[in-house]
Amino acid sequence: MVDFSIILAGFSDAFTLFNLAFVLFGVVLGQFVGAVPGIGPIMAMAIAIPFTFGLDPLPAIAFLVGVNKGGLVGGAVPAVLMNTPGTPDAAATALDGNPLARQGKPLKATKMALFSSVTGDTFSDIVLITVSAPLAVLALKMGPIEVVALMIFAFSILAGLIGNSLTKGIIAAMLGLLVASVGQDPENYTPRLIFGYWDLFDGLPLPSVAIGMLAISEILHRLSEAHGNVRAAVSTEDTGNPDDKRVSWAEYWSCRYVMLRGATIGTILGALPGIGSTAAAFMSYAMTKAASKDPASFGKGNIQGIAASESANSAVVGANLIPLLTLGIPGSVGAALIISAFMIHGMQPGPLLFENQGRLVYGLFGAMLMANFVNLWVGQLGLRLWVKVVSAPESIIFSSALLLCFVGVAMATSGLFGVAIMLIFAVLGYLMASFGYSLVIFIIAFFLGPRFEKSIAQSLALTNGDLTQIFRSPVAVMLLLLSVASVVFFLRSNAQSEAR
Amino acid sequence: MKLKSKLLALGASALLAFATPAFAEDWAPDGPLTIQIGFGAGGSTDTMGRVLAKVMKDNTGWNVIVENKPGGGGVAMFTGLSQRPATGNVVGMGVSIPVLVQLVNRGDQLPFDLESFDYLGTVAKAELALVASKDAPFDDLEGMVTYAKEQGTLPVATMAPPQVLIMNQTKAATGAEFNLVTADGGAEVMKLILGGQVLAGFGSGEQFPYLESGDMKVIAGANQTRLSFAPDVKTFIESGVNAYVDPVFFLAMKAGTDPEATKAIASAIDAAITAPEFVEIVQNAVKGAPVNMGAEGTKKMMVDGLANAKVLFAK
Repeated sequence: MVDFSIILAGFSDAFTLFNLAFVLFGVVLGQFVGAVPGIGPIMAMAIAIPFTFGLDPLPAIAFLVGVNKGGLVGGAVPAVLMNTPGTPDAAATALDGNPLARQGKPLKATKMALFSSVTGDTFSDIVLITVSAPLAVLALKMGPIEVVALMIFAFSILAGLIGNSLTKGIIAAMLGLLVASVGQDPENYTPRLIFGYWDLFDGLPLPSVAIGMLAISEILHRLSEAHGNVRAAVSTEDTGNPDDKRVSWAEYWSCRYVMLRGATIGTILGALPGIGSTAAAFMSYAMTKAASKDPASFGKGNIQGIAASESANSAVVGANLIPLLTLGIPGSVGAALIISAFMIHGMQPGPLLFENQGRLVYGLFGAMLMANFVNLWVGQLGLRLWVKVVSAPESIIFSSALLLCFVGVAMATSGLFGVAIMLIFAVLGYLMASFGYSLVIFIIAFFLGPRFEKSIAQSLALTNGDLTQIFRSPVAVMLLLLSVASVVFFLRSNAQSEAR
Repeated sequence: MKLKSKLLALGASALLAFATPAFAEDWAPDGPLTIQIGFGAGGSTDTMGRVLAKVMKDNTGWNVIVENKPGGGGVAMFTGLSQRPATGNVVGMGVSIPVLVQLVNRGDQLPFDLESFDYLGTVAKAELALVASKDAPFDDLEGMVTYAKEQGTLPVATMAPPQVLIMNQTKAATGAEFNLVTADGGAEVMKLILGGQVLAGFGSGEQFPYLESGDMKVIAGANQTRLSFAPDVKTFIESGVNAYVDPVFFLAMKAGTDPEATKAIASAIDAAITAPEFVEIVQNAVKGAPVNMGAEGTKKMMVDGLANAKVLFAK
């Protein structure tokens, strides 16, 4: 146990005006790049790291934490306002956020996203600060076999998002898995489906597929609906009701269990490296919908839908630091970037970090808490601005968004190859959406695919191909039983809602 | 990062217009100099590359930019590099062994060979160790082989093809059976060891915190000579398995680059690796000192390494 005086010293190191300024700068930058479709916080952090070389470790890390956290809030903005999520984890937010914005309540929708994002984030930060060590030990016990079972469970929950046609849902999922198998196989390192393009050796670039499928295809859709008359991209017509511009305490409080569930899912998935915030957001969304008394209201602007996905995807980020700080294992690309910033600034994440550099670690925790408050405050101001921005004519907004997506993907994938891939997936996404195939299912399958395959390969290697050994793991057996139960539950409730 | 590099180039050229012509007599890149890292962000190659770029930038005043081009242990990046025009403003940074193994295994499918590049130098050598949890019922490779024979088989985590080949050589030489689990990098190997899913695994630096804390022990060295941080531990070769890997972090450019450019960049690299902040990051990443074999030495290392890899890793 770290000496209490070290904890206090760490926090007092963090709470200085100088660090606050860096957190503020980071959050403003993060919210901005998060809100601009196509760039995102990961890009911003990768660019910002070299600029932190000259700083002391604490302000440098505080700045990066600010960018990361600001990006989470910013990411929800284009998803809610324009239905063009810049990152796949915000796609779940768009499901209810965008319908609410279209009802003339864009501020209510974005504010709900902001509040639930900060709530989920703060929840996982508190878990990180208080019980990271025991949680990390539990995460270690989740070996490849348990991870396979967990992934199957995640897929089974997604059955709740399939909607009307089971066949189309399964086709979308299979297509996502097929696309995920491009690149070298995880076991023998043989290139698959690369058709001579060595750029595909490591698989299809994630930003290209995600932005092409989710953002560009939506923009294409909106452009195809334009009829020459000038319309605002988002109707911000004043409904005259001041309640439509804010989130009341009663509304926030009504989502408390939804956010608690979302934050818990996010924290658990975040503590396990490699599963990620997209799956967390959709799992939380699907579970909330299933638990709701009025599932039919989801997808039509239910604030609980926003709260479910934002609290979950934001909780992942704090929890990603659990394996990182305690074991030195990065849980995501963002966490990997923070690790390299740590190393550059002389911190060695791992079992001795708390002992050797406890003061700096608690300084980091202080900066994280500070960033949450700053996020809330900057978000309140920033959202008004974004809502004004998107009330510009749609011909301007969507063409600028298109341009930014091109620039962002070209930057993220270092070249035009990624842009070409993005365009291919934009057309595929447009066609799939037009014919009623779920893009969301496709994207989740695509994101979970590589990890799923790798875990299966690892499990087969560990068990010499003997799958009955799964029954030796109580955790895996429990997760598999839950998967069966959830598939049955979701298919039945789908059938019922169709019968009605 | 194209836009950023363009903007920075614009800024840099604006600055240069005002700067004193201190470097006027030297070669300088036309626009920014990009270092492409053949691995993802956050790994040891990436970390060293970013600090190297920063020190080079401080020393020379050039605008040095880092890009990550992960894939196939650097093969994706070197493929891209080999297809570029030799304009003298893109440098690739990678690790020798994964590239050499790919050249041995599927050289006919790769659009490059060793002659496709002009070599600039090396920055460090990686030491590859087979490590196990402190509770493992063996302390060296012989003990591990004996234990594997007793148990029938033993799970070992690897993170790259050469390690799979070393373990296969071990199987062939000793008759022991191993379940080889492939992990996504050294950090995941450590997780599998700590979680008890495997009994041993390879680390190229990720194990240091656990060696320091006493949670892990070194079973064998996988380099040609013994590990600098564990000189008492025998290598695979000393234990009777005739296989080793000597991964070296090196930098190269597209062949046919202006000799002025390669000379200037190679000397900038050579100057940068002695800077205290670079020495520190190399120490953190590979627990050793920076090593520069020079342009000629790097090429020789790659050519000899390929011949060696053909012998060791022939199918």
